[in-house]
Amino acid sequence: MKKIIENDSHLLKEVSKELVNILKEKNVDEDIIFDIHVAFEEALRNAMIHGNRNEPDKKVTIEIEIKENLVVICVEDEGEGFDAGKLPDPTLDENLLKESGRGVYLINHLMDEAIYESGGKKVVMTKFLDKKHL
Amino acid sequence: MQINSEKKNDISIIRVSGNVDIQTSPDMKKYLDKEITGENNKIVIDLKDVDYVDSSGLATLVEVLKSLRAVSGKLKLTNLSPKVKGLFEITKLNNLFDIYGDEEEALNSFE
Repeated sequence: MKKIIENDSHLLKEVSKELVNILKEKNVDEDIIFDIHVAFEEALRNAMIHGNRNEPDKKVTIEIEIKENLVVICVEDEGEGFDAGKLPDPTLDENLLKESGRGVYLINHLMDEAIYESGGKKVVMTKFLDKKHL
Repeated sequence: MQINSEKKNDISIIRVSGNVDIQTSPDMKKYLDKEITGENNKIVIDLKDVDYVDSSGLATLVEVLKSLRAVSGKLKLTNLSPKVKGLFEITKLNNLFDIYGDEEEALNSFE
């Protein structure tokens, strides 16, 4: 499935609901769906707000491939990218009271793999769909 | 998302249901800001009927905690679902917030 959507945060919920429904139809475990749901919305939010800087003329490209026991989700924005390796660790004591900076951290911990490509403009997230990988 | 509140002695119990996310957390923030009325506010947020939280929701709870701390108030969270609690653990926010199993336990913790 490939979709190119407007940079409108209202569409974020629409596309994530679509993915959640597909996973439910495939009887994927609810805990795994929860992790994918959160990570996908965080990636979309990052793309729209931080990548595309809320600019309405920019787009977000989403590609989702569901294989037998895993889902691969790509989210790409049209922004300037970022270095995921240079983000501050939100779990350090000095960062716990900060109000931002947890989105990428959640993606990295909820998915089995998250790779940032094209200078950080694209994230490729993979999650196994069977419980033995939890 | 729906929010209702109840006052028990000097403690406000805020019961939230639905999603606490990018769309709903601004409303939750507005609601909670109204509850922070002065010094020493005591607030319990019951998340029993919340089954989805994202980083915006977590950020809003951090904001509320900071607002309360600024007026020497106290915030307790209760009834987190295992998955929501998992998000607090991943982000280590469980080290920042006082989290209790149920409302009674949270209320008793003020004594």
